[in-house]
Amino acid sequence: MRLTFDVNGVGQQADDVWPGESLLYVLRERMGLPGTKNACEQGECGSCSVYLDGTLVCACLVAAPQAQGRAVRTVEGLATDSAGGLDHIQQAFVETGAVQCGFCTPGLIMATDDLLANTPTPSDAEIREALAGNLCRCTGYEKILDAVRLAASRRTEVTP
Amino acid sequence: MDFLYARSWDEALAAKAERPDAVPISGGTDLMVDLNFDRRRPDALLDLNGVEEFTRWERVNGHVRIGAAVPFTRIINEIGSLVPGLAIASRTVGSPQIRNRGTLGGNLATASPAGDALPPLMVADATVEVGSVRGERTVPVREFFTGPKRSVLEPDELIRAVLVPVADGPQQFAKVGTRNAMVISVCSFALALHPARRTVAGCIGSAGPTVLPTPDAEQYLEAELADRRLWDSRAELDEAVATRFGELAGAHARPIDDVRGTADYRRHAVAVLARRTLQWTWTEYRRAQR
Amino acid sequence: MTATTAIGAGLNRIEAAAKVTGAARYAGEIPLDGHAYGSVVQSTIARGQVTMIDADAVLARPGVLAVLTHDNAPRLHRADDTDAELLVLQDDRVRYRGQAVALVIAETLEQARAGAELLDVTYQPEDHDVVFAADHPRLYAPEHVNPNYPTDTSVGDVDAALASAAIVVDATYSTPAEHNNPMEPHAAIAQWDGDRLTVYDSNQGATSVRQALTTLFGLADGAVRVLSEHVGGGFGAKGSTRPHAVLAAMGARFTERPIRVTLTRQQMFAMVGYRTPTIQHMRLGADADATLVALEHTAYSQTSQVLEFAEQTALISRLMYAAPNLRTRHRVVALDVPTPRWMRAPGEAPGSFALESAMDELATACGVDPIELRVRNEPSVEPDSGLPFSSRNLIACLHEGAERFGWASRDPRPGVRRDGRWLIGTGVASSTYPARSAPSTAAATALADGSFVVEITASDIGTGARTALTQIAADELRAPTERVEVRIGDSDFGQAMIAGGSMGTASWSWAIAKACRELLHTLHEIGTVPPEGVTAHADTAEDIKAQAQLSRHAFGAQFAEVRVDVDTGEVRVPRLCGVFAAGRIINAKTGRSQLIGGMTMGIGMALLEEGVMDPQFGDYVNHDLASYHVPVNGDVHDIDVSWIDEHDDRLNPVGVKGIGEIGIVGTAAALANAVWHATGHRHRHLPIRPDRVLTSLA
Repeated sequence: MRLTFDVNGVGQQADDVWPGESLLYVLRERMGLPGTKNACEQGECGSCSVYLDGTLVCACLVAAPQAQGRAVRTVEGLATDSAGGLDHIQQAFVETGAVQCGFCTPGLIMATDDLLANTPTPSDAEIREALAGNLCRCTGYEKILDAVRLAASRRTEVTP
Repeated sequence: MDFLYARSWDEALAAKAERPDAVPISGGTDLMVDLNFDRRRPDALLDLNGVEEFTRWERVNGHVRIGAAVPFTRIINEIGSLVPGLAIASRTVGSPQIRNRGTLGGNLATASPAGDALPPLMVADATVEVGSVRGERTVPVREFFTGPKRSVLEPDELIRAVLVPVADGPQQFAKVGTRNAMVISVCSFALALHPARRTVAGCIGSAGPTVLPTPDAEQYLEAELADRRLWDSRAELDEAVATRFGELAGAHARPIDDVRGTADYRRHAVAVLARRTLQWTWTEYRRAQR
Repeated sequence: MTATTAIGAGLNRIEAAAKVTGAARYAGEIPLDGHAYGSVVQSTIARGQVTMIDADAVLARPGVLAVLTHDNAPRLHRADDTDAELLVLQDDRVRYRGQAVALVIAETLEQARAGAELLDVTYQPEDHDVVFAADHPRLYAPEHVNPNYPTDTSVGDVDAALASAAIVVDATYSTPAEHNNPMEPHAAIAQWDGDRLTVYDSNQGATSVRQALTTLFGLADGAVRVLSEHVGGGFGAKGSTRPHAVLAAMGARFTERPIRVTLTRQQMFAMVGYRTPTIQHMRLGADADATLVALEHTAYSQTSQVLEFAEQTALISRLMYAAPNLRTRHRVVALDVPTPRWMRAPGEAPGSFALESAMDELATACGVDPIELRVRNEPSVEPDSGLPFSSRNLIACLHEGAERFGWASRDPRPGVRRDGRWLIGTGVASSTYPARSAPSTAAATALADGSFVVEITASDIGTGARTALTQIAADELRAPTERVEVRIGDSDFGQAMIAGGSMGTASWSWAIAKACRELLHTLHEIGTVPPEGVTAHADTAEDIKAQAQLSRHAFGAQFAEVRVDVDTGEVRVPRLCGVFAAGRIINAKTGRSQLIGGMTMGIGMALLEEGVMDPQFGDYVNHDLASYHVPVNGDVHDIDVSWIDEHDDRLNPVGVKGIGEIGIVGTAAALANAVWHATGHRHRHLPIRPDRVLTSLA
């Protein structure tokens, strides 16, 4: 079947989509957007977190045809507005050392973006809850929490 | 594989009547795992995301009528105060990503004893609206499940909404897991106090072939509360009563050994959760007086 | 002379921007023109024979290009040191459940996976033996243990010393199979150009993969190029070539197209290695004043029918404490199971659980503080070999950690601290890990514009290697880090050590330092950089051979606080504290995260991680991330990591010991000791699951 949808603000079309494909598969294998990672295919690890019409979802659990006519935003589309190429969350992950192997990173950045959009000054408990569905095997999470705190503090400075 | 879109309840029913083999998909949190893992390849999927009414909730005659595809996140944020037990359970579902997609309809249709929303629906005396082109019917959640991953749903039927009475008393839900998030519960327990009716209801999750009601424990507690006139006095509940309630609830569990825990452990943990949820709800009931 | 400035600073990870934007390309994400996909078909029996594979139906499916089986797959060459796990599709034997028996190749990944699912494979099953036990009749003593340590060692007369010891601890500990689970599943894409093979692969060392593929495909030296610029974690599971890379190369040869093979998460549980389960018998004897008179550590582990992997579990007991009578032994049994391999601190991680738990039991038996017990038994030379230590700061770590953690006020009595439904306890354990170096080559080039390029086949699996090596090269070249580009992950850069054994930075920095010093020497002689630049090469093989015989190890001390729910048996970890003596820490930012990450994996080891073998089917039943639990962020709270300032000039030119593994060594014991302190019950089997805690409390 044909799939028409919007990815990072650009209209996209995919042909010969098998209806059982996941949105993750379409992004990685058809759209050439491997920033969204495939690490478990069962919604356990959060590595494939993307926005579907503004809602944070695991792309592996969305059937590709369910994205028909809808808007998807991936990690590749997060910093398109910023001049330096990184948005403040990405910058905070870089500076705090929250990135190690990097395979969980895109999903964590999407989850952080979603958190700070709804809760600009989250408590530690709120951060932990918001990132509960994102597994990281390298960092032990501490630097990731630091990154979220830093991003939140900067966001607050920018938008009082 | 065919992919069928439905834009309305009627369209969905018509599609399901024509293709009873079509597997409904909404949040995809269970079904997509099966597809990704090649556990099954149904001949058709029926997408319910386009049916707007599935994503609505409304208050109807002392009930909240929750569309089959209202995601857990919205249950927590929008109707948590009306259906507190369900909201507490919804908060323990997976992760934000899963709660953004997972639905009551999915929990009911999958009929897994580990479906976190099911015990609170049971104790709240919720009913399920199901329908087909042949007509519609309502089924109490208590009668909905017929076995592990089996329900009364006919091949041509779809779940339309869940009718949950607005809480008439304190409700609680608790679960035990091996880690601090993203767990399939080792076991869970939901409890609702119904002070107006002077009844209580408990339900076990993840410790049997289906979610399991706890009638012996309920009868015991109702009798104790009545004998001791505690509904009226709102006096403190004896520790011994809570413990006994837990033991009786635990006796209703029908667990198995698996990688998440032994059967003995599950039975014990159910008793602990039943005791704790009783203590929490009773404390809340006592406070509500002042 | 310019002082070193880059080393020690918290330089941001160099490739971090590429990773946070999704721009970093991992092996399974490299687009090659016209590539197709291979999907692995795994055996569904644990032992027997493939009697027939009927591929016709699959070959008739849309998009399917080929089905590789033992009947038609390219024949592979083997050398004496060939890893038998890589001889895929060469015969009809099934040696474990989950072994590759076919590769379905198709135009799209979906078509390949559908075909793999439908492939009709017929087996002649045989009775399998997958149950590991310390009394298994086929246990044997291997020739050596991983990688080449003696199997058994003995000093003095342990039996006699134990017989006359005032206090004896005799206990058996066990640890389950654990699965590495790096976040990135193994992937490779292979392309042939005549007899030249290029493979983008997810691994911890591109030259070792190049060597294996060169041999397997009977190619000339230099015919294979392996690239691995970004690798999504490994923890040992990518420490050498894994079957997916061989299958990709076979598929590409067969179809004459680039072929990508990416394992699924579930496939990883059988195909890429895991930590063997262990059973460890400890016997410790001490005088009344808590001086060790005897220590015996006997370790049992499993291996597969494919090849022998003998975990060096008891190694740790050869160096930690001054026991005049000291015996260590390893026994292995080959079962019809997937081959165990390295997982973060193989040997030391499970070994330290037994040794450091036993030391805690001994402290209790002797009535001394666990730290004091370790201080009293601190050796002056390595007890087993008599070799001097290059440096050993275990006691300093214990004391520093005790200070940071607040150990002094600890009441030693178990089971007496309660906060509501929670029992509270604290525990301590020692850590250690070998600090070795292996031969590597590197090249350093000065360019006419004043910048430098350093090339080495290092692998950054998330450790921060690229960043640390840039800091080292910059200091050696007396240049700011911005003017130094370190290129890694390309086997064409020449032979180098893998990112493994905590030896990466030690080995690579040695070669880089040597090349940079050579380059500066050349630049000094020639004065100005010619337009084409000037390059210096270095090879450390001779330097490493010339190293003095010493016992080189990093040490550390770990402290844990636990809260145990008396009703449900759940264990929570409000805080951990680790203090390490690991030589020079190159990058404070990446280094701290490595150690926290190791300790967090230690929480998983202690409380969560357990591969459960199904005796009937011969399968690790919980082979996905929903049922094999690794720590989530809610499992980790306050982890205080620090290190003492350690200068050891008998290691390597830069003075590093490696920090990739020591973080997980001792964590599980510290937690188990804390659970004992909380509850009064000793858990000698990991993980410390709620049901096990509750059973002990009942």
